[in-house]
Amino acid sequence: MSATGTINAGYLETLLAGQPQLPTSPLAWLNALRAEAVDRVGVLTVPTLRDEEWRFTDISLLTKMPFHPVRTTISLQAADIEHFYIEEAATRLVFVDGVYAPQLSSGIAGSGVTVVNLEAGFAAHAATIEPYLGRLTEFRDNVFAALNTAFLHDAALIVVPRDISVTVPVHLLFIATQKDVVSYPRCLLLAESGSAVTVIEDYVSLQEDAYFTNAVAEIALLDNARVNHIRVQREGAKAFHIANCAVSLARASNYQSVSVAFGARISRYNLNVQLAEEAECAVDGLALISGRQLADTHTCIDHAKPHAVSHQMHKCIVGGGAHAVFNGKIMVRQGAQRTDSRQSSRNLLLTNKAHVDTKPQLEIFADDVKCTHGATIGQLDSEEVFYLQSRGLSDTAARNMLTYAFGAEIIERIPISSLKCQLEQTVLEQTATQL
Amino acid sequence: MSATLQNLVNQPYKHGFVTSIESDVAPKGLNADTIRMISTKKKEPEWLLEFRLKSYEAWLKMEEPIWPNVHYPKIDFQAISYYSAPKQKPKLKSMDEVDPELLRTFEKLGVPLHERMALAGVAVDVIFDSVSVATTYKDKLAEVGIIFCSMSEAVLDHPELVQKYLGTVIPPSDNFYAALNSAVFTDGSFCYIPKGVKCPMDLSTYFRINTEESGQFERTLIVAEEGASVSYLEGCTAPAFSSNQLHAAVVELVALDNADIKYSTVQNWYAGDEKGVGGIYNFVTKRGLAKGVNSRISWTQVETGSAITWKYPSCVLLGDNSVGEFYSVAVTNHYQQADTGTKMIHVGKNTRSTIVSKGISAGHSNNSYRGLVKVAPGATGARNYSQCDSMLVGQNSGAHTFPYIQVANNSSQIEHEASTSKIGEDQLFYFAQRGIDAEAAVSMIINGFCKDVFQQLPMEFAVEATALLSFKLEGSVG
Repeated sequence: MSATGTINAGYLETLLAGQPQLPTSPLAWLNALRAEAVDRVGVLTVPTLRDEEWRFTDISLLTKMPFHPVRTTISLQAADIEHFYIEEAATRLVFVDGVYAPQLSSGIAGSGVTVVNLEAGFAAHAATIEPYLGRLTEFRDNVFAALNTAFLHDAALIVVPRDISVTVPVHLLFIATQKDVVSYPRCLLLAESGSAVTVIEDYVSLQEDAYFTNAVAEIALLDNARVNHIRVQREGAKAFHIANCAVSLARASNYQSVSVAFGARISRYNLNVQLAEEAECAVDGLALISGRQLADTHTCIDHAKPHAVSHQMHKCIVGGGAHAVFNGKIMVRQGAQRTDSRQSSRNLLLTNKAHVDTKPQLEIFADDVKCTHGATIGQLDSEEVFYLQSRGLSDTAARNMLTYAFGAEIIERIPISSLKCQLEQTVLEQTATQL
Repeated sequence: MSATLQNLVNQPYKHGFVTSIESDVAPKGLNADTIRMISTKKKEPEWLLEFRLKSYEAWLKMEEPIWPNVHYPKIDFQAISYYSAPKQKPKLKSMDEVDPELLRTFEKLGVPLHERMALAGVAVDVIFDSVSVATTYKDKLAEVGIIFCSMSEAVLDHPELVQKYLGTVIPPSDNFYAALNSAVFTDGSFCYIPKGVKCPMDLSTYFRINTEESGQFERTLIVAEEGASVSYLEGCTAPAFSSNQLHAAVVELVALDNADIKYSTVQNWYAGDEKGVGGIYNFVTKRGLAKGVNSRISWTQVETGSAITWKYPSCVLLGDNSVGEFYSVAVTNHYQQADTGTKMIHVGKNTRSTIVSKGISAGHSNNSYRGLVKVAPGATGARNYSQCDSMLVGQNSGAHTFPYIQVANNSSQIEHEASTSKIGEDQLFYFAQRGIDAEAAVSMIINGFCKDVFQQLPMEFAVEATALLSFKLEGSVG
């Protein structure tokens, strides 16, 4: 036990290596936040299978890799990354290996909406973001969130002012271009009361070697705000992707999220949603993995106040010798009466070597609530396959179609048609090669 | 009315069992010598002493588990006396000497008359009925070759059977409390059903209840040979009191080819008072090994007592086509805590399991379902259906579910469902409209909620369990 402890400590030290070279921020509170995060990294250890929250996800492989912070930035041309662009989303912030690339980004015109990198937005918004940046994420107990916070100097910053509806989706594109690099993407979205916005958080790669993305996103919805959050994780096949996302919903706000995970050798997504009175959230997810991939999604939906609604549907399609993990916790706190919560975990195993661990978890401390959860694990229904075959489809085509339909239910919920088409295409290709 | 009844259930038994003779009680604390002393006192063979010492060695290296969703002050294992000679309960000469409040409880529960006497501690020899009943049963069982006796007797009379199966389902190093039990267990039940024998009646610990108190570290072993079948009942609906706070029992079931074991439990240990003071800690390890092809193991439990209940009756489905079942009702009230559920480990091909769990929490209590469904890579064609429903009564109680589902092949079908509900004002109003008072209405609603489980209980148990539940929850609604 102590031996692994020291290995962990050494590993974390190497990860922290570049931290002191970060430029000091003009904001004292941000410097203090970073310093506290460095302290926490010193106290915390890298989780192992002995930690309940990580018991199905072995990240020992990650600790054996010599990742270092980005040293030189590579300058990309628009032509290199154009194929990642999303037609509808003209507003775009691009980060290359975690570093903001202004020449590739395009801002938003007029209406008082802020979509900038944090360094540019500090001057105007320091007071607005202080209560949120680094405050929504529980980095004190989470070594990866703490590491990210220790390196916090730039980020994607979106502030939507009161009663403004942003019609054009905002695309946050995080591109990995170098091997052995660890990057710390960071997002902060503040939707002020009565505002509405759609954000696409997109992780892509231009190379196939190993690298490490350690991301943190913080989203705050004030009263009556609406946020559509689409998260696409299509990292390179050897990548490590660990992300924490904290969402706080104020009274009567509405958060719709679809998270899709296709890439990375090992990926882990922690999503924490906290709901106030009459807030509503729909949290959907799809993991489509094969080969030796591992995709882990941990969500915690916290009904802190009465009259809130949450719906969750998480699906996994697991091929090859891949391993999918889902842990969905629904917490209904004392006094959170009239909570309405639905959760469902559906898993499709395509091969004999595929493996799923799922744990839909309910913790309820109020009596006047409606809470249900369900989980299923299975394979394609042979009768459904037979039905399609009887209509002239080949066995492969029939299976392919059914698998696609299983995943499409989640992708359908993405409100951006070009992205939806792109992702549906990916699912089709993936399932076609699987079968 | 209801307040009186509450008091009644939660009252410690005044007629105290602590009448032991000093010399027969081991000094407090646990070490290898205590274990040797227990073994010597019980005239045990050498292999059993070794089993105990090995378990003790394993226990020393283990840490007390902290993962269950229950809270209690740390137990001082050196402050417990691990052996006292089997105690005779004080004999009463007739029912007239029994505490009238206890009699009223029996009345309320509808416990049969001869059982009431036995439970109240009236000497067996003055209960004409019971004697004849018990002896007839014993004769009948012997006729078909069934061995049903206390563990101590079994160790002396059938050592080869005990040695062959003891610790094969739950190895001594299995967990902290199983290791402790394996080191210091004092008594329990042993049951052996020979090849092809269908046990002619439900076996019940009740047949042995009045002879001695089996102690805090109970050990039960049931073996069903090929084609045998047995239904076993443990506990009873009447409130049970114990002078020991910690109870760490181990129950092992072994079913060979085509065998069928049905194990039903009704647990109503002292749960502490309404402030949560006192009460039994019930930390039990129960596991059945469906070893042979087509074997079947079925657990049914009604858990209403104990300050803390912590148990997961499990099935290891080793044989092809074997079946595991788990039906549970867990009720908590006041400050009780229950963390209970099951584990279904699918190893053989075409194995099936069913889980139906109903949790009811009232008062300030917390009720958790914690279950595991694990399908090994080679367990092709496995099938599981789980359903766990919770009902909350009052706004200070908590209900939790922690279902772990781990599947490692693609020919298995696993389904899990859970829901939470409460006894609604509108439901009570509906009953009131039809002239049914709140108390009867609650009883009916609860009964309906638990029906799937009660159906699995033997007839008279089911009737008593129904009464017990509404009894436990009286005064917490409306």
